[in-house]
Amino acid sequence: MDAPKQPLLAVDDPVLHAFAEEVGAEGPVAIEGNRTRWHVGGDLAADARVIKAPTGMVAYAPEEMTAQVRVGTPVAEFHAALAEKGQRSALPERGGTVGGAIAVGQNALSMLGRGRVRTSVLQIRYISSEGRIISGGGPTVKNVTGFDLPRLMVGSLGTLGLLAEAVIRTNPIPEVSVWLRSDDADPFGIAATVLKPSALLWDGTATWVELEGHGIDVAAETAALAASGTFREAEGPPALPAQRWSLKPSELLKLTGAEFETGEFVASVGTGTVWAAKPQPPRQLNRAAQLLTHRMKAEFDPPGRLNPGRTVETA
Amino acid sequence: MDLKLDPDDLNTCVQCGLCLPHCPTFRVTGDEAMSPRGRIQLMREVQDNDAPVDDDVLRSFASCVQCRGCEPACPSSVPYGHLMERTRETLADAKLMTPGWQRLAFLPLANPKLLQAGSAALAVANKLHLVPKRLGLPEEIRVDQKPIIASGDDVYFFTGCVMDAWQREVHHAGVRNLEAAGFGVTPTNELAPCCGALQAHAGLAGQTRTLAEQMMGNLSVDTRPIVVDSAGCGAAMKDYGHLLGTPEAKAFSERVFDIQEFLALHLEKLPAVSALDVRVAVQDPCHLRHVQRVHEATRTVLRPFVRELVELDDDGLCCGAGGAYSVLEPELAGDIRDRKVAAIDQVTPDLVASANPGCAMHLAGAGVPTIHPMEIVDRALRGI
Amino acid sequence: MARSALKSLQSLKDLAGRASRSGGRPADETASDPLIGELRAALSPDRVRSDGAQKALMKKDASVFEGGVSGPLCYPESTAEVQAIMKLAEKYDRGVVPRGAGTGLAGGAIPLGAPIVIAATKMNHILEVDLDNRIAWVEPGVINLDLTKHLAPMGFHFAPDPSSQQVCTIGGNVANNSGGPHCLAYGVTNAHVVALEVVLPSGEVTVLGGLDAEPLGYDLRGAFVGSEGTLGFTTKVAVTITPNAPDVRTLLLSFDTVRDAANTVSAIIAAGIVPAALEVMDQRITQAVEAYVGAGYPTDAGAVLLAEVDGLADGIKIDAERIGDIGRQHGATNVRQAETDHERALLWKGRKTAFGAIAQIAPDYYLHDTVVPRSKLADVLEQIYEIADRHDVLVMNVFHAGDGNLHPLLVFDGREEGKLDAVHAAGAEIVTASVAAGGVLSGEHGIGVEKQAYMDLMFTDDDMDHQARLRRAFDPVCRANPGKVLPMGHSCADIAALRSVPADVWG
Repeated sequence: MDAPKQPLLAVDDPVLHAFAEEVGAEGPVAIEGNRTRWHVGGDLAADARVIKAPTGMVAYAPEEMTAQVRVGTPVAEFHAALAEKGQRSALPERGGTVGGAIAVGQNALSMLGRGRVRTSVLQIRYISSEGRIISGGGPTVKNVTGFDLPRLMVGSLGTLGLLAEAVIRTNPIPEVSVWLRSDDADPFGIAATVLKPSALLWDGTATWVELEGHGIDVAAETAALAASGTFREAEGPPALPAQRWSLKPSELLKLTGAEFETGEFVASVGTGTVWAAKPQPPRQLNRAAQLLTHRMKAEFDPPGRLNPGRTVETA
Repeated sequence: MDLKLDPDDLNTCVQCGLCLPHCPTFRVTGDEAMSPRGRIQLMREVQDNDAPVDDDVLRSFASCVQCRGCEPACPSSVPYGHLMERTRETLADAKLMTPGWQRLAFLPLANPKLLQAGSAALAVANKLHLVPKRLGLPEEIRVDQKPIIASGDDVYFFTGCVMDAWQREVHHAGVRNLEAAGFGVTPTNELAPCCGALQAHAGLAGQTRTLAEQMMGNLSVDTRPIVVDSAGCGAAMKDYGHLLGTPEAKAFSERVFDIQEFLALHLEKLPAVSALDVRVAVQDPCHLRHVQRVHEATRTVLRPFVRELVELDDDGLCCGAGGAYSVLEPELAGDIRDRKVAAIDQVTPDLVASANPGCAMHLAGAGVPTIHPMEIVDRALRGI
Repeated sequence: MARSALKSLQSLKDLAGRASRSGGRPADETASDPLIGELRAALSPDRVRSDGAQKALMKKDASVFEGGVSGPLCYPESTAEVQAIMKLAEKYDRGVVPRGAGTGLAGGAIPLGAPIVIAATKMNHILEVDLDNRIAWVEPGVINLDLTKHLAPMGFHFAPDPSSQQVCTIGGNVANNSGGPHCLAYGVTNAHVVALEVVLPSGEVTVLGGLDAEPLGYDLRGAFVGSEGTLGFTTKVAVTITPNAPDVRTLLLSFDTVRDAANTVSAIIAAGIVPAALEVMDQRITQAVEAYVGAGYPTDAGAVLLAEVDGLADGIKIDAERIGDIGRQHGATNVRQAETDHERALLWKGRKTAFGAIAQIAPDYYLHDTVVPRSKLADVLEQIYEIADRHDVLVMNVFHAGDGNLHPLLVFDGREEGKLDAVHAAGAEIVTASVAAGGVLSGEHGIGVEKQAYMDLMFTDDDMDHQARLRRAFDPVCRANPGKVLPMGHSCADIAALRSVPADVWG
């Protein structure tokens, strides 16, 4: 055998090559998806050229639990295709695109059941600051080959590369999925009752639990919940306030509501995400992490042309 | 230098490292040179690559407790114990290990009179608090206990050296239990003065072979089972087949039984009595668990006679006694014992049953209430 | 490709060989060496070693690769001491290589360029179990299984369970992003590390990631996990703790052929079941394992599938029955369910000691770790047997079938003339076949020095250039574990780091 000129998994999709051309190698440029999280990380510089990522499912193999999708595809459309084969993914459904979900990195409401976005991206393809197609990670459900570019891209707000295509891990849709609500349960005690709730929300008074799995298991867990309070079936999760806070799960134990001025909040028990009307006070990276962040940006995008105006340091 | 190790034995180690957590010295030092994998690699370096046998290499070999806890953990069945014994023998022959005073120190073991005299002196010294407490000698070394009298000819009972001198009450308990099960017992006394285990550990296998041949000569007039109540001695005697490599030695080894192993086979012959109201933790002597691999028998025998048996959560890791190890390597032995004591403390037993005199003394030195399993059975049977 | 890979392996051997040829025995750095003096002052004299015995032992991990001579070996006990070592490495322009239990299978912990070895074995404390945040803070030298045992009374465990879990360290798991049989359902190490305290190659200490829901900034935590020690040294790890499932069922299915077993695996996943574990062993490895554990593995079966489901009792009963049915539809000759915990433990002991057990057959093994799409398992396995036959090398297959992670075990006697070359040639073909089937080089063992030469099968120069950028952001001079992961030439600073070895060390 002779050394091949190209790797065996080289990119031959003309759509991606055309997209790379469009990104080019010069001038400020940014991708827009559906603009559902458009202001995260700051406002885009006015002079940036705004383009859209390519769309469409490239390959989907349910028995592999992987789907290769161009990131301009709306998450809803992506999930509809998966649902035809009885599967879903960890990406949040809130009107955005696959690329937006990855670039922003916020988890789905039912993160406990669906997994984190950051662990669901198996392979990522993006266009570099130099206009080249870069692949990181690999197409299989398990892979440790080389440095973990997919992890770096999740939540990077497109500041290190413009996302083009991803291989996403899929999972079977459970047989039964049910939301329950209680006005007298202790949400923190429920963790000890339910093995693995898909979501556990609390607004300071009421508690919502999403149970999923075999019908027989969900029935058993529903019955077990009776020990923690009076539960009845609910339409779904409560309406969520607009701002997203990132807290430690243990910090929720001490929440009074006063932190959010209006007193209104919905907290995701077990993850630490809180939705409130007021935005979270700015968070700050420590000095060494800040330095690393600057160096990372300088390495990947020396001229600073990708998504100018946005930064992960204040997101 | 040529350590005289069989290259095929050395080559069975593929360096997977699964032995590491089962090695007490690696556990307390985190040092590869103090692990079975490291020691085997150093044997290779010395034998195959002619690496100098410097102080650091010797330290690696000398620090091994020879508990052989690595052997059951090894999926490739590396004969580690034999490799280490042979290495020490070669190095001792070359005068690189086991200094002269140690060689002399083992001589009394094979000579009951000398041992009695020495023990009497030690007993006095102990009473005068001249012996360090950490050695765990019994408060009162009862060197004048009445000897064991033959009660029949069903089994031999191996009396041995140190144990007969210092812990003869354990022997008495064991013999009473055998008799309670209906066995007539012949004590071996001067027919078999010492098994040679400690000598083999120190690389003085020559002394061991002499003792083995002497014992086999004296006990092979018939084919009665030979019952042993010291795990270390039993392991050594079961290894005579390998040590001497003769069919006679192999046949002899097959007659050797640990006393718990023997009674477990005849449990139904012991009278039914009410259990002692104690919570007992079983400490598995390494040479019972890793070498003889009959440690389950201890539980089988104890279970009817105690209220509660509890297990230690340390996978049978060595206690650090290791025959003479606790004297030769007091610091490491102490660190290893600390781990064992912590595991014991976790299960809060009333008593800790140990079927090996060395382990019992070593643990007693740290204030652990140790007792031989045979003494527990004996107390239950006698209702005291 | 095979040729270029072999050539690179050869050059690695030369690199390592330079050291051993210089006198058989590593040159000892004398106590007067100022670096050693300063290290001893920073730690303590007994925790900085440079004797020949120690260096001889540092040359290898559990792979077939032998490194060069290491520099001094340090046993730090605190973050501050690691920091001091890192600063001295900078001052004396030396690389550093981390070492846990030395069970790596890709040569990731072997020394190249006489680096200072930082052993994690004395940083082995479980610092805190934080039930409110469902995490535990541990030091890198904590043994994986020790952590799980520590958590057991609280009803939790640490989910990644590599076969070496009774000995491998959490730090090593972080470095390699380790997997294990139960990662099929629970995810690999990356999914179970929420934050890391690391000493960067600059000597600075920082925390990557965080306990909060969505930590600020780039996911540097994610970048660090699996970086094989090339981005810094982790001194504290916050790992998630996973509640123990109330019930578990373990099934052993026997098949006439490996193909039937592989097809069953694909069919189970296609049916929407994600078991906790799906492991396949072929006949040769089953026989070796059974000889050691005596777990009742059928030695006459062509292949066995170990399937485990855990969760609530009723649901897993359904899953277990369906798995049995699917197996029978795909040719299972026998389906047995472990009746007791003891039986289950024995079956797992057999699976988890499989690699070590092969010494009953030959003294050396070389283990690959490719992943292929599940649907290609059967085809690729057939290719593997064919490749091994052609090179006259014995191959045994034991693998994480559920996620397509193959572990073809090439078994040989390295003392046989030319055998190692045949093994490497067969390995190169196996890797190529796996990647050609849509797979990847490594599922859980990492690249180390072993698979560097194959990186160009998966990645373009541009791809590797971007990986090098990630590395440079952390470590511009390639001080941390030089010579690993990226092939030479894709990481110029690595070569510089390897050249900066003092002349007297390599002779």
